[in-house]
Amino acid sequence: MTERKKVLIVDDDPDFVAGIRAILDREYDTTVAYNPRDGWDALKSGRYDLLCLDIMMGRGAEGVMLARKIRRDRELREMPVLIITGLREQIAFLFPGQAVHPGFVPVDELVEKPVEPDLLLQKAAALIAAREARQPARVP
Amino acid sequence: MNAERRRILLVDDEAVVLDSCLAILEGSGHEVAFASSGETGLDMARGWQPDLVFVDLKMPGISGLEVLDALRELDPTSVSIVFTGFATIASAVEAMQHGAYDFLAKPFTPDEFRSMVRRGLTQRELLVERAALLRERETLRENFAAIVSHELRSPLAAVQQNLFVVMAELDGSIGDAQQERLRRMSARIGDLLVLVNRWLRSFSIDISHMREGFRPVAISGPISAAIESAQAEAVRKAVAIAGDVDPGAVVAGDEGALTEAVLNVIGNAVKYSREGGRVVVSAMRRDGTVEISVADSGVGIPTADLPWIFDAFYRGQAGASGASGAGIGLALTRRIVEAHGGHITASSDPGQGSVFVIELPAFDAPVPGPGAAPPEQVSKGASG
Repeated sequence: MTERKKVLIVDDDPDFVAGIRAILDREYDTTVAYNPRDGWDALKSGRYDLLCLDIMMGRGAEGVMLARKIRRDRELREMPVLIITGLREQIAFLFPGQAVHPGFVPVDELVEKPVEPDLLLQKAAALIAAREARQPARVP
Repeated sequence: MNAERRRILLVDDEAVVLDSCLAILEGSGHEVAFASSGETGLDMARGWQPDLVFVDLKMPGISGLEVLDALRELDPTSVSIVFTGFATIASAVEAMQHGAYDFLAKPFTPDEFRSMVRRGLTQRELLVERAALLRERETLRENFAAIVSHELRSPLAAVQQNLFVVMAELDGSIGDAQQERLRRMSARIGDLLVLVNRWLRSFSIDISHMREGFRPVAISGPISAAIESAQAEAVRKAVAIAGDVDPGAVVAGDEGALTEAVLNVIGNAVKYSREGGRVVVSAMRRDGTVEISVADSGVGIPTADLPWIFDAFYRGQAGASGASGAGIGLALTRRIVEAHGGHITASSDPGQGSVFVIELPAFDAPVPGPGAAPPEQVSKGASG
């Protein structure tokens, strides 16, 4: 049996996190950071196969700042990201004039809260597969 | 703010008064301009936007009082002080009724004048500050619904997310009745989320960007979609919705936003209709405009309420008859309609019903074939 993939969830709503973690736990090893700073620290100190990122944390779009930091990081930018947003249109609101799905990193997808369990698992699996198809997994 | 250079305008037909005022203000650090008649004074005020204006009450041509009125209209935060040669209480009071902040009786000493300048500029600062606070409050009020919806949305999403999990976890280990209860809980939360999302979407409409995405829209499309959305509630109340839409009525706009705008009005008409009532939706081209009207035979709107119905959070008295809502719909509709360069009006006979009319500028270029709603889709005579 292959090793379980590792998923990092960065979201500031503990109740929502509990709701998606229970689903992801079925197939993945999940870790949670409840704010962007802890999320960044986790990303720099561990290795994850997928990041589930809430884009609207805090008063503004602190999740967006984290996404931008990830994009600028040569290693991290290759990691697949599942962007979780309250409302699809809020992305358009934050990035006027851009596509509703801004494409923060090379491999990402966007889902709205709440997300159906099957859809969540399907998106997670697809993103991890897309990342692996882009280049063979590195030998640890 | 005190160190700032301020603009002072003097309007007086007596050269000697202007000269002495200019001499007193020399070295004050303020910009000073003068005019020898009300007309030129107003012209200057328009372009120069002074902080403080001194106006003589007795001048040939337009009177000082008329100048005061015009100045107040030009900029409600501007401060005017009148010079009066005959310091009767009556003329001073009259000037203040016309918006003057204070008066200075001629002849006056340099100190009296300087002191009045200081008082006037302080008042100007206060007025500007107050206007800024009011604007801020207005912005907050406008965005209130968006903030509230966002705050409502997060807990609902968290509850729904956990319901999904609980339902999956309990699948097979609880009875059908319990399963059904959970399903219904989740469905009701889902309905709430749809509602909140609708508000949020509408309030996030960025008007300037919405315009960039405008394209020709046959108005029959949004109207059909809106009628369809309102149909469920209409059927429940046995209200018939009839449509009579000119297939050639085309506007430049955002189809989704227009649907939202029309839906709010039709939904309202259904909401305030009596059981078994009838709502008639029609759209036609009239000269350069497309006119959409929604008429109901419902409870109507009290005349006193009419001026306010397009303001956010306003709910009419008629709400007592079982209707519910947050008073957002019509405010949104107005925003959307105005973003399309149109306007919306309402008229009502209390007890007889109301008519809402949306007028939008007609789009004249030929309608592109594919992509636009085919005119055949017009719901003519559709009813619940």
